[in-house]
Amino acid sequence: MDVLGNELNFQYELLLPEIVLAVTAMLIVGLDAFRTELNLGRRTLPGLAILGLVIAGGLSLTWIDSDTDFARLITIDNFTTFFRLLFIATALVIIVGSWEYIERYVAHNAEFYGLLLLSTAGAIYMAAARDLLTAYLALEVLSFSLYTIVSLARNDQRSGEAALKYVLLGGVASAMLLYGLSLLYGVAGSTQYPEIAAALSAGVEDVELPLLLGLVLIVGGLGFKASAVPFHMYAPDAYEGAPLPVTAYLSATSKAAAMALFLRWFAGPLLPAIDDWQWMIAVVAVATMVLGNLVALQQRNIKRLLAYSSIGQVGFMLMAIVTISEVSASALLLHMGGYLVTNLAVFMAVIAFYNQTQKEDIVEFRGLAQTNPFLALVMTAGLFSLAGMPLLAGFLTKFILFQSVVDGGYTWLVMIALIMSTVSLYYYLQVVKQMYLYEPSGNPARWRLSPTGYLATGVLLVATVVLGIYASPLYTAADRATVALFS
Amino acid sequence: MIPLENFLLLSAVLFGIGFYGVLARRSAILILISVELMLAGVSINFVAFASYLDPEAFSGLIFALFVITVAAAEVGLALGIVLRIFRERRTANVDAIDELKW
Repeated sequence: MDVLGNELNFQYELLLPEIVLAVTAMLIVGLDAFRTELNLGRRTLPGLAILGLVIAGGLSLTWIDSDTDFARLITIDNFTTFFRLLFIATALVIIVGSWEYIERYVAHNAEFYGLLLLSTAGAIYMAAARDLLTAYLALEVLSFSLYTIVSLARNDQRSGEAALKYVLLGGVASAMLLYGLSLLYGVAGSTQYPEIAAALSAGVEDVELPLLLGLVLIVGGLGFKASAVPFHMYAPDAYEGAPLPVTAYLSATSKAAAMALFLRWFAGPLLPAIDDWQWMIAVVAVATMVLGNLVALQQRNIKRLLAYSSIGQVGFMLMAIVTISEVSASALLLHMGGYLVTNLAVFMAVIAFYNQTQKEDIVEFRGLAQTNPFLALVMTAGLFSLAGMPLLAGFLTKFILFQSVVDGGYTWLVMIALIMSTVSLYYYLQVVKQMYLYEPSGNPARWRLSPTGYLATGVLLVATVVLGIYASPLYTAADRATVALFS
Repeated sequence: MIPLENFLLLSAVLFGIGFYGVLARRSAILILISVELMLAGVSINFVAFASYLDPEAFSGLIFALFVITVAAAEVGLALGIVLRIFRERRTANVDAIDELKW
């Protein structure tokens, strides 16, 4: 029982997946301290991390279709389960696809794996929180882990600079978000989502101004985490300076977690105030997709290109928040699934490429179709899917997303999105052009990927193609998560 | 009793000074201190709202406690990163740290 006499549910097994993640993280860091004494092999740490993730993923399957909460702080419903599986799968793919990269180019391997697992737990609780305080703490668990792993690149000065920019601007964004939350708390008198929703729908005429100010700050703070324009300034730098697997993780889990929090807040406690925030998100969405896609046109570094492309993608996703409804929320979840698969396919290919060549400029990809046709195929499928070409995951999910926004009555937003989608095709094709139309600049000999490289890129390639033709399992999952979100 | 508005004004002023400091200062350390000022404003807000609007549940007070704790952790983390930059480049001026742009 809490001080207000509410019965609290302390079933700790509801939190088991994250407990497993945290324990594995500590085990990895602890074991690494005795690396020489225990004679650990080079695969022990990534293997342990994968084991922890698989157990956590398996455990989260236990709560499919449950609808309960832990101590009124954490909701365990289908929405949570959806994101648990999504984030765990993302971390799994990143570790499998890039453990060789991590071994060679990342300092402090054990801390890297540990923080990756902890940040996954943080991301999950962002999607699962039922109280502003839990959501804030989860967000900081994710952010703090990311600040640190961004700075872990070995022998690369850019890494420290990226981390500094990320941590300073991240601190300002958190402070803004918190100030917004404090105003929201003042307006609603509670930090619990259901109570805030009740207070806001009861009418807020006399506190319109603080509510509006609070919403601006909340959109700003969350927009920073999702790297939406005009809060994106840190993103390209952090993406470029970070080690490649971290860049992949930033563009996947960190963004998806911010979108999950957007959904939880704007479809839940803040839904009654929709007239106050709808236009803000619409403005941010337009700015994000226009600027993200236009600036991507002039990038020469593949990490920066993918950074701006993922900013543009966030703009598309934010459209679904503007027209928030069961239809658009489920379309957003579907698109997020498709985006994660495709984006990771591209990143895993870039990581495999970097392992071989140590190059990250777009011109260095020239002739890849001759030196490694499989990798060129994965890159091409991934980039085309990001651009939204038919028969690939990106087309189907984007189509459903755009359609849901049209149904929500925002046709003009979709017009802008369609134009920007076409623009994005141009810069994705630049990379494809380098791979297929030019002769290799260096050694034209063929080279192979490592077995795990083949595994990660192959699985993601298959997923990208299969989701483009047969997406109904993901569609059903997204639908059930949305029903839980709005219940 | 002191009216709630006074507390809100104080917190807004602190937040504003902190935000100005973030924009105007060029040393990473001073920017961190400015962020701390912003967070101090947030804490005052939470405590004031908690004692005026929600005296029996005190969730705002707990929030303020967590804000203080997390802010301390954040400073520790950021100082670690500043230290690393300083070792590499002998400066903590954010204008001089400009390898990454556009």
